Amino acid sequence: MELGLERYLRSDGFDEFVGPDHAPRPAARALCRYLTGLAEEDLMARRAAVDAAIVTMGITFTTYGDGASIDRAWPFDPIPRVMAASEWAVIDRGLRQRLVALNLFIDDLYNDQRIVRDGVFPAELLANSRNFRGQCRGMSPRFGVWAHICGTDLVRDKDGTVYVLEDNLRVPSGVSYMLENRILMKSAFPELFEMCRIQPVDGYTAALYDMLAALSPRMGERPVIALLTPGIFNSAYFEHSYLAQQIGAQLVQGTDLLVGSDDVVYMKTIAGLRRVDVIYRRIDDDFLDPDVFRADSALGVPGLMRAWRKGNVAIANAPGAGVADDKVVYAFVPEIIKYYLSEDPILQNVPSYLCFRDEDREYVLANLDKLVVKPANESGGYGILIGPQATPEARRQCAERVKADPRGFMAQPTLTLSTVPTLVGNQIAPRHVDMRPFVLQSGSLYVTTGGLTRVALQEGSLVVNSSQGGGSKDTWIVEEGA
Amino acid sequence: MMLSRAAENLYWMARYLERAENTARLINATAQVLLDLPRGASFGWDNLVQIVGLAGLYQQAYPESNESNVMDFLVSAQRNPGSIHSCVKYARENCRVMRDVLPRELWERVNAMYLASLRQSQNRMGRVERRRVLEDLIRDKQAASGLLADCMSHDVAYQFLRLGEHLERADMTTRIIDIHAAVLIPGSTDTADPVIAMLWVGVLNSLSAFQMYRRHGSNRVEGEGVMNFLVRDPNFPRSVVYCLDEIETRLANLPHNIDPLRALRVARRRLDRMTAEDLSAAQRHEALDLIQGDLAQIHDAVAAEYFHFHRDAVPVEENTGTQRQLSSQTLGSAFQSN
Repeated sequence: MELGLERYLRSDGFDEFVGPDHAPRPAARALCRYLTGLAEEDLMARRAAVDAAIVTMGITFTTYGDGASIDRAWPFDPIPRVMAASEWAVIDRGLRQRLVALNLFIDDLYNDQRIVRDGVFPAELLANSRNFRGQCRGMSPRFGVWAHICGTDLVRDKDGTVYVLEDNLRVPSGVSYMLENRILMKSAFPELFEMCRIQPVDGYTAALYDMLAALSPRMGERPVIALLTPGIFNSAYFEHSYLAQQIGAQLVQGTDLLVGSDDVVYMKTIAGLRRVDVIYRRIDDDFLDPDVFRADSALGVPGLMRAWRKGNVAIANAPGAGVADDKVVYAFVPEIIKYYLSEDPILQNVPSYLCFRDEDREYVLANLDKLVVKPANESGGYGILIGPQATPEARRQCAERVKADPRGFMAQPTLTLSTVPTLVGNQIAPRHVDMRPFVLQSGSLYVTTGGLTRVALQEGSLVVNSSQGGGSKDTWIVEEGA
Repeated sequence: MMLSRAAENLYWMARYLERAENTARLINATAQVLLDLPRGASFGWDNLVQIVGLAGLYQQAYPESNESNVMDFLVSAQRNPGSIHSCVKYARENCRVMRDVLPRELWERVNAMYLASLRQSQNRMGRVERRRVLEDLIRDKQAASGLLADCMSHDVAYQFLRLGEHLERADMTTRIIDIHAAVLIPGSTDTADPVIAMLWVGVLNSLSAFQMYRRHGSNRVEGEGVMNFLVRDPNFPRSVVYCLDEIETRLANLPHNIDPLRALRVARRRLDRMTAEDLSAAQRHEALDLIQGDLAQIHDAVAAEYFHFHRDAVPVEENTGTQRQLSSQTLGSAFQSN
């Protein structure tokens, strides 16, 4: 088809497909050749086939507050996002470094708190952390690892630099869509996989199983692994079901489990009670155990924390791991890496203004029209103010919230996210993207090849969350020169 | 290893699919019978609703009993939890929750059945379209059953699927036999006889049983013969006794099966002891009611043993032979699809 690359480039941002010379970047050349040779009707037919496959396969997600239906088809764009393997290799190392340091940090916080005593991490930040769980003090999970599964959000700014936007250490989701996207692409564009040298992504589920199995408290036995889901009304239920299936775990809800007087976790089965060794939980700390956290939680299991503290069950991610999933803690990650590893960070943080610092707060309040303001403890894009696009009233309300709770907010300059070609109607147009790779750690480390690319389908929009109208793409890490 | 909740979901998913299929069979058979009714005979539409046990709900929802209303109620009505559309919807919901243990193709098929049913429920169908739609549904359901038989490990999960499927099938067979009661024929028994024979052919056809009845049942198509075939033929897969045998096989593969098997044997003994008189026109209703009651007892025993969890249950001994075998089976099949 006629790609019109001359016309395609128009923003001042960074496009990952086309360079400033209006020629495809080296890693994207093969894809560009292919698309140019593809008839428009052919592309449309393949997109229709992909859309039909999504409905048939029932790849769905849920939007909260969308009363009528509890599942919607997954919005998928068939033009892949391409990244060079040489660039990815650096990001891969950076992600490993980051998670290792974060786990050392969490383990330290719940034990000696050296980093606080050494004055690197402010004591008052710890005291005001909503996700620090006093009930976890003195625990040291196997391998000293608390955050076993991390979804790290990466963005690329207008000069091409890749930044870490946040580390999701509580119950990061999206990996199943990454895997499904690849399956969809293979069925729709099989010839592309012969033309390009695309690194596979499907090692993830085996790595996830190995990671979880290594946590089992009963060595030498085949571990019984359960994936704890809040149930079918959760936005990520599709993923919970998918992953349980892929790793051979039991998909359980809180009511399927109980903790016996022996402090062991059991599943209720048709043959009676069966011991559970490892729980891959997809519910927040708050709901895990009504005896310890929120008493009104019907999603959790009374006594679960007792069983975990006794070492009778492993929980991934460990309770309390969310202490490092905090946008204020985020700003300290470069120092955390230097402190524990004596290394320079490989991946950069986005410059951040922490509102609990008087000087930073003054700057933020004076520049709300230029900044993105984020609550420290929310996820899924909820509660974020994008200053340049917000109404004066929204900015005023945001200022009130920041003044009332300075610890609860941080701000960053508005990044011009990079763009990639996206099929809009029957034209190819640039749309902004981010990327969420997934990192696993227990006895060893694993990083996905690429990750889940989310794309803001509205022209000019920077909001990529699927809960707020974003879509996704397959992400290709390709060997150059093909 | 099978969660109680999971077992219940699978059991009901199979029941809903089977109910949808049999309701479709009931409707298509009825439509055929209608075409052959002699002048003067009438069809009691409300009886059809009674057969599936939903008369009360129907009367609340519709002012009168006519073909259009009853068909809407049985095929498409969202407010009827027993309509074909509702059954497919519930089956899909149960399937969706159980995607981790079911073959992926099953979900895709059940999901496609639901999407088709949703499209069709938007407006009322004429006879020709309805027949085609219901035949498609029966075919889709048969494909789903075949897919489970051929592409799913015959593990514990599978036992619960077949258990639900055959319990529902036995129950629906006894209800479909009752269809002849819906036809009201005035006048002498002379005119009634050929009509009644025609009705029994309709019953056999609705269960895809006509050909097999000719081969293995009696030569004449008459009430006692058909009743005996559909209740007691050991080889026809939609007969009550065949379904009971299948349920027994499934229960034998499950742990803690003493109470459900006891209920099963009560039902089985009753069938064995039924006399020609019990199967005659005069006693038929009573006999079918008793069988339906026995089937309900089997359901209750299964639910009490496997679905409703007792807090005082004892932990299962670790590493017993069967348990290990089953958990490794589950794991193995999960990795194959990887």
